[in-house]
Amino acid sequence: MKDLQLSLNQTQKVRLQRALEKLESLASKANSNASVTVADSIPVNYEDGLLKGHGTSEVNGEVVATVCGVVERVNKLVYVRSLRARYKPEVGDIIVGRVIEVAPKRWRVEINYSHDAVLMLSSMNLPDGIQRRRTALDELNMRSIFEENDVICAEVRGFQHDGLHLQARSQKYGKLGRGQLLTVPSYLVKRRKQHFHHLENYGIDLILGCNGFIWVGEHVEVTDDMLVDHKSEQHDTKADKSSISPEDQEKNYTPQQTRENICRTANAIRALSTLGFSITVEVIMETVDLSSSINVAIHEMLGAEFCVLVAEKEAVRRSMTKKK
Amino acid sequence: MVGLSIGEKHFIQGGIAQDIRSDGRKRLTPRPINVKTGVISQANGSARVRMGATDVIASVKAELGRPTALQPDKGKVFINVDCSPTAAPMFEGRGGEELSAELSVALRHCLLGGKSGSGAGIEVSSLVVVEGKICWDLYIDGLVVSSDGNLLDALGAAIKAALSNTGIPRVNVAAGASGDEQPEVDVSDEEFLQFDTSKVPVIVTLTKVGKHYIVDATSEEESQMSSAVSISVNRQGHICGLTKRGGAGLDPSIILDMVSVAKTVSEQLINTLDSQIAAAEAGEDES
Repeated sequence: MKDLQLSLNQTQKVRLQRALEKLESLASKANSNASVTVADSIPVNYEDGLLKGHGTSEVNGEVVATVCGVVERVNKLVYVRSLRARYKPEVGDIIVGRVIEVAPKRWRVEINYSHDAVLMLSSMNLPDGIQRRRTALDELNMRSIFEENDVICAEVRGFQHDGLHLQARSQKYGKLGRGQLLTVPSYLVKRRKQHFHHLENYGIDLILGCNGFIWVGEHVEVTDDMLVDHKSEQHDTKADKSSISPEDQEKNYTPQQTRENICRTANAIRALSTLGFSITVEVIMETVDLSSSINVAIHEMLGAEFCVLVAEKEAVRRSMTKKK
Repeated sequence: MVGLSIGEKHFIQGGIAQDIRSDGRKRLTPRPINVKTGVISQANGSARVRMGATDVIASVKAELGRPTALQPDKGKVFINVDCSPTAAPMFEGRGGEELSAELSVALRHCLLGGKSGSGAGIEVSSLVVVEGKICWDLYIDGLVVSSDGNLLDALGAAIKAALSNTGIPRVNVAAGASGDEQPEVDVSDEEFLQFDTSKVPVIVTLTKVGKHYIVDATSEEESQMSSAVSISVNRQGHICGLTKRGGAGLDPSIILDMVSVAKTVSEQLINTLDSQIAAAEAGEDES
């Protein structure tokens, strides 16, 4: 068991240990045979045409693992998939990132990868929604779309010669505001069909970025470009930051109930990340429901007792799904 | 520290105004504190304190020295803080020096009192061995391992825990030393005297964001602060030191209000800290 940052008393340690053991026993048995550490030799039939993939290397005629992980075999390909690797972008991944630089005709975005990603101006919908060539004026107005330190949501377009490119051509991508950004280890967020979740009964938006950045915020209606035009013009006249008085800002704050829901969801994600469980919408919803049903104060969700309860609930949930 | 977007900053300010911070805490709720003592075996006393993602280590080393001519009946205490480059990228090279100097000065004010040594939180008169000739010099060093806001409080708590863990070796002075000679001393390796820390104060930092102030700010919340007041309070509820950071001016009535809030918060903090230190010492004895 890895060193948890929580201070657990004796009974809590025992309960947590038991829950984790139950989860381990529920995990599929096949994988346990195939896990390797560095320099373990991989059992293969030395037939012709065997492809040695990532994480392997040939040493003294033997196929040896170079990373710690699980051996996967696909037809003639043998590779080692590591369990806790750095985020590895694939085409079509939905990611959440932070703009760190505004460069000529592109934005540089930090996405928890070894390099920064690039979002070209041409891969981004213009505010007026018309499909046209980007002019020099568009280039000068890039800052009005995204500035430094903005949090944005985009999709991975592919690897080009100068790095990783993103695209944000749909209305659901773009700048994110009125919420908080959480960072979890990227291997806890698995690729699924849906990464945008609108939790209706809480009124919040949840975006699970494959790179480990998770956005929890107020729900924003995805509107058509043409309609946004009129509203954004009105907003622009008011949105001059220096002229907003403190009272107006107060009226603009997120409503109390929504804020509580946002914080509860964020703490649920933090608790799951501490325990190292995979983060999916179902698990998050269950954790939030658990916390509201036992009426735990929001900040105590990060404490030892709640984490042990989450582990126990997860063990129960997985044994239920296994039985089905 | 990564920058924050305008939407995120607005969210943090709104949270503080509505009494629900980003992790669900109320304005005056601190993060849970985790204390481990005896982490450095070569030091006379040491402690590691974790508050959320903030991680600091304090160590106490005692050496024999000569008391100053002005205060022959008191020992000397030196406090120094170092911000490790592992804590934040901006601490790389000499980047952390300014913050280290600021923290050291603030800790000295809070714990050591004035130049004449009056009003010190740490009992320095217990450190004297032979009046005028030999005294103990305590070198207290703080190291910031990971920084997520509220470094001063964490360092104050770590120093208090390290002092509780400190054992001063017993010294046998050879009798019959005259006038100006340095007496012979025999420093015992086995017997230790525990340092008395009941009078050591704790530090509470109140960070003002907008119209409200919060206890135990994370580094995101600290980036939004207009000013911060750090108050060290001891068990009797007396104020041992006061430091104000930040460029914004504060109305005097607000400062008085902050002081009374700090007193209330510090009572709870002292109790939590003492129980954590006791648990840590007991745990250390068992292992």
